[in-house]
Amino acid sequence: MEQLIKLVKTYRLSSGLAERLRLVEAIFHLIAPDLRAFVFSAIVPQAAEDVSQEVLISITNSLKTFKGNSKEEFWEWCYMIARRRIYDYLHKKKKDRLQPMPHDELLDLVDASAQVAPMMAADRHDLEYALNLLDSSKPECRDYLWNHYVIGFDYGEIAEEQNLNYDNVRMKIGRCLDEARSLVS
Amino acid sequence: MLGRSPIARFLTMPNKHTDAEAALKKLGDHLRLGWAKKHPVSDKSLESVKNTVREQWEKEQVAERPSKPAPAPAKNKSRKPSEPDMER
Repeated sequence: MEQLIKLVKTYRLSSGLAERLRLVEAIFHLIAPDLRAFVFSAIVPQAAEDVSQEVLISITNSLKTFKGNSKEEFWEWCYMIARRRIYDYLHKKKKDRLQPMPHDELLDLVDASAQVAPMMAADRHDLEYALNLLDSSKPECRDYLWNHYVIGFDYGEIAEEQNLNYDNVRMKIGRCLDEARSLVS
Repeated sequence: MLGRSPIARFLTMPNKHTDAEAALKKLGDHLRLGWAKKHPVSDKSLESVKNTVREQWEKEQVAERPSKPAPAPAKNKSRKPSEPDMER
């Protein structure tokens, strides 16, 4: 994946259209699958296609202004843009927040992931544990755990969306995690 | 007797809080991977990203144009263009 940051750095310096198109295509193939999946884990499928396209276009538009030097910084920057677009969308259409995905559908996706990356027995055990944590949580807690840990929204973003303060959200999520753990163990 | 001491129990006890957090994050990674496998990216999506690059590039070309020196009119071809300050 070091290739990714090399492509981004080269893109920043490139001026010719043909070179930019070649580079953006290579970057696209490296980032699009993860970012689309990220959006689809947060929004109803009917809207997720459009929002994920907006995310990719926003990233492309700002690629020349990206200041980082590592692939980690680049991914962080991409996910920040993606979260911001998801947040903007949900703010406008709260009803389009993804309803909890049924356990079987989640398992189906987990199985599909095993076709891409081999899964050890310990991984499967961890994933079943995570699914049990979600299944045993009350709806409000499930939302918090899903948004923070599974999707990756930070405390500040959840606080902003819910009109709560940062510490309040941090404590709620901590309590939800403790409660789920105690129910599963 | 090490196994019975409270310290030993603490040392061997997994940090459940961290384990739960790590398991949920791992679930997120696998769901994204599974999703990407089941719903591959379309060519249309790539094409609209490329169109964005084309539009941005064209805007840059337009923005750069005024800064380039205008070609001298044909009748003044032989004259050396004067510096803006010298015209004052």
